[in-house]
Amino acid sequence: MTRADRRKLANGVFVALCGIATAIALSLLVAILWALVGRGLGGMGILLFTSDQPAPGSIGGLRNAIVGSLIMCGLGMAGALVIGILAGTWLAEYASGTRTAATVRFLNDVLLSAPSILIGLFVYELLVAPFGGFSGYAGAVALAFIATPIVVRTTEDILLLQPAELREAGMAVGAGRALVIRRIMWRAARTGLLTGGLLGFARISGETAPLLFTSLGNQFFNADAAQPMASLPTTIFQFALSAYDQWQNLAWAGALLIAVAVLIVNIVGRILARESHLS
Amino acid sequence: MAEASASSAIERRGPGEALFRFACAGAATLLMTALAGVVVSLAIGGWPAFRAFGPAFLYTATWNPVTDVYGAAGPIVGTLLTATIALSFALPLALGVAVFLVEFCPARLATPIGIAIELLAGIPSIVYGMWGLFVLAPWFAAYIQMPIALSAEAGSWADTVFSGTPNGANIFTAALVLAVMILPYMAAVFRELFLTIPPHVREAAYGLGCTSLEVVHSITIPSVRRSIVGVVMLGLGRALGETMAVTFIIGNSHSLPRSLFDGGATIASTIANEFTEATGALHEASLVALGLILFLITFGVLAIARALLRSTDL
Amino acid sequence: MTASSEHGRRPITEPDAATLILEVRQLDFFYGQTQVLFGVDLAVQRGRITALIGPSGCGKSTLLRAINRIYALYPGQRAEGTIRLDGEDVLGSTDLAAVRARIGMVFQKPTPFPMSIYDNVAFGIRLTEKKSKADMDAIVEHALRRAALWDEVKDQLARSGLRLSGGQQQRLCVARGLAVSPQVLLLDEPASALDPISTAKLEQTLFELKQEVTIVLVTHNLQQASRISDHTGFLYRGQMVEFGPTDALFSKPRSTQTRDYLTGRFG
Repeated sequence: MTRADRRKLANGVFVALCGIATAIALSLLVAILWALVGRGLGGMGILLFTSDQPAPGSIGGLRNAIVGSLIMCGLGMAGALVIGILAGTWLAEYASGTRTAATVRFLNDVLLSAPSILIGLFVYELLVAPFGGFSGYAGAVALAFIATPIVVRTTEDILLLQPAELREAGMAVGAGRALVIRRIMWRAARTGLLTGGLLGFARISGETAPLLFTSLGNQFFNADAAQPMASLPTTIFQFALSAYDQWQNLAWAGALLIAVAVLIVNIVGRILARESHLS
Repeated sequence: MAEASASSAIERRGPGEALFRFACAGAATLLMTALAGVVVSLAIGGWPAFRAFGPAFLYTATWNPVTDVYGAAGPIVGTLLTATIALSFALPLALGVAVFLVEFCPARLATPIGIAIELLAGIPSIVYGMWGLFVLAPWFAAYIQMPIALSAEAGSWADTVFSGTPNGANIFTAALVLAVMILPYMAAVFRELFLTIPPHVREAAYGLGCTSLEVVHSITIPSVRRSIVGVVMLGLGRALGETMAVTFIIGNSHSLPRSLFDGGATIASTIANEFTEATGALHEASLVALGLILFLITFGVLAIARALLRSTDL
Repeated sequence: MTASSEHGRRPITEPDAATLILEVRQLDFFYGQTQVLFGVDLAVQRGRITALIGPSGCGKSTLLRAINRIYALYPGQRAEGTIRLDGEDVLGSTDLAAVRARIGMVFQKPTPFPMSIYDNVAFGIRLTEKKSKADMDAIVEHALRRAALWDEVKDQLARSGLRLSGGQQQRLCVARGLAVSPQVLLLDEPASALDPISTAKLEQTLFELKQEVTIVLVTHNLQQASRISDHTGFLYRGQMVEFGPTDALFSKPRSTQTRDYLTGRFG
């Protein structure tokens, strides 16, 4: 075999391997989606949203879990947006280029990838053990800790992307730093900031581990965040591991619901991100 | 003449300026305090366990709530095993997918597939966990474990290597689920990484007559070698800390696994399963101590990853 | 009416202190350890257009940014020397916002703020004064007229500034700078991102503005400098090589470096 033939053969094998890898990856993911839709679709219906968690063996829905998730994710996101945008602004506008900023950014990235169950442990020690009770607030705080680093990152990135002249033009007219940031930089970056919020929301809406020891769960409908609160992921966790068919079906329906919600939020975020890059 | 630095010159117009700056710096400080708080609370909470068992805690494999003796060896081994096995499956596949999308796939297909993979990377891990429990485990038990168990003679090599309850809930299947979970994430990041290489560099190589394999081997991979390792570390960090994808299917045995097909536990799955029902202060402290160990491991891995990825935007 | 070298230039005499609005003396500028401006002198006359020319990287923009102290945003950049605006010290001043309110700046790249055209122009005024709607409307209209933009946007003041064309955006930035009635307007290559027609319009605007606002203009375009400016300074490698009346500098440059630059030997 000539050298040229050998190269061709090697290349052919390589292409085939890469193609096989892609085929394997795609079929695995298709398999998961297939299982998700196949087992979860049957449970989707009005009952899912209007009825609370049933006793073992009977019919019901996931209303209390859905409401609990919405409340805790909403509260958590509110906190994450406030702290995250302010901290990201500090990194991009007040401390840009300094070593402190580099350290803070590094530690923020560590927090971003830290195991979420440890965040749950921390919030337990902080808010549950001393006060003797699980609560929706504790769950929201844990979720906020997970979402904040994401918001910090996207805020800093989007602010640094703005042309320096915009900042300078605002200051050249005589405005102070804070005013330039609030009225000009934040406004120019508002789509990016929104995307960061959406990404954070998508992430925390699927988180289970940090809620296990903070909000715990609640088999009844509860909108009082000072009490233990149900959430979709924890309820799914409990139902999936149970021995009851009804509960397992509900778990699949809930999983499908979360997956679809996360997908929609991510898609919206991508569309927004694309628009902000074009403008 | 006085030089004007950004901090000494009064660019402010009143207290509103100082207040806003304080709020921003305060938020950053709060964030850092939270991180420090995590470490501190884990250390404080886990201290009773370290005091009771000493360094032996790290390599003892007993975990007995009845006698109140705990050792972290089982969960630590389980964590490291599942993560490394998962990575060894996911890494070549992720690289293959990324190379395929960047080099071979026609652009019209590559973009939707790329987007699909990115979206799938956002699916919550509990979905993967459920798939593992209800789909993979039974299949694995029926098609892999049972045939092996039935055909291997007692005491033979095959019997030892593959020993374990044939219910599909073991280290290996947990690692498989983990692999499937980090695969889209790593493929998406690798693809992003390859796309940062300026096209004219690759075009020059093709122009010289290189085959795709040669371009990837000599140009694409070497250009981003450090970042590839960084991404691998990121994936490893994720795999080490993952809870929901493995808790369903790892088998929950605290002793050291006898084989890959034996049940085991990871640090995260142990904490998730036992914390709310911890029997006694020492049990709880041991769980928190496990958490501290996990934090230190992942911190180390992530620190290396970030250092390697510093030159990129990832 | 186009600005040609025949119109509007009175015979130039040597500047005396009473007609100087901006005075730069022995200005040194440093980026960290690197010095980029060396003992620069500049005398800007009231009511005139002063152009700064020179090859890329020679310090023209840096000089401009030193005058309104926009460099103070970036740690590590510092200026030493004297800059006086109408007799008052600029470099030593502690109230930067007040300094900047008297010196306007238009950048190379049009930078409309992400708000309506009206709000863009009103932004600077709203910082310091509270005006009634009628007063503010009048100020905005006046500024837009002087920037030669009023006729084109008077029916769409609520539209976002980002929706204007490049040339219009730049004139919006001029209007924004004019609204606060500065004494000096600094422009850093304002037409480099514009097409020839927008450039002509902008030059026309500047020419008509000089009665009310002293203009300092950095430009790469030698024809532009000779078209509209009264005085020109040639900066090379951080030093002010030559400064004088535009006609004189262009026709009879005193320094060989100036001559080489003007004839295109380097650039």
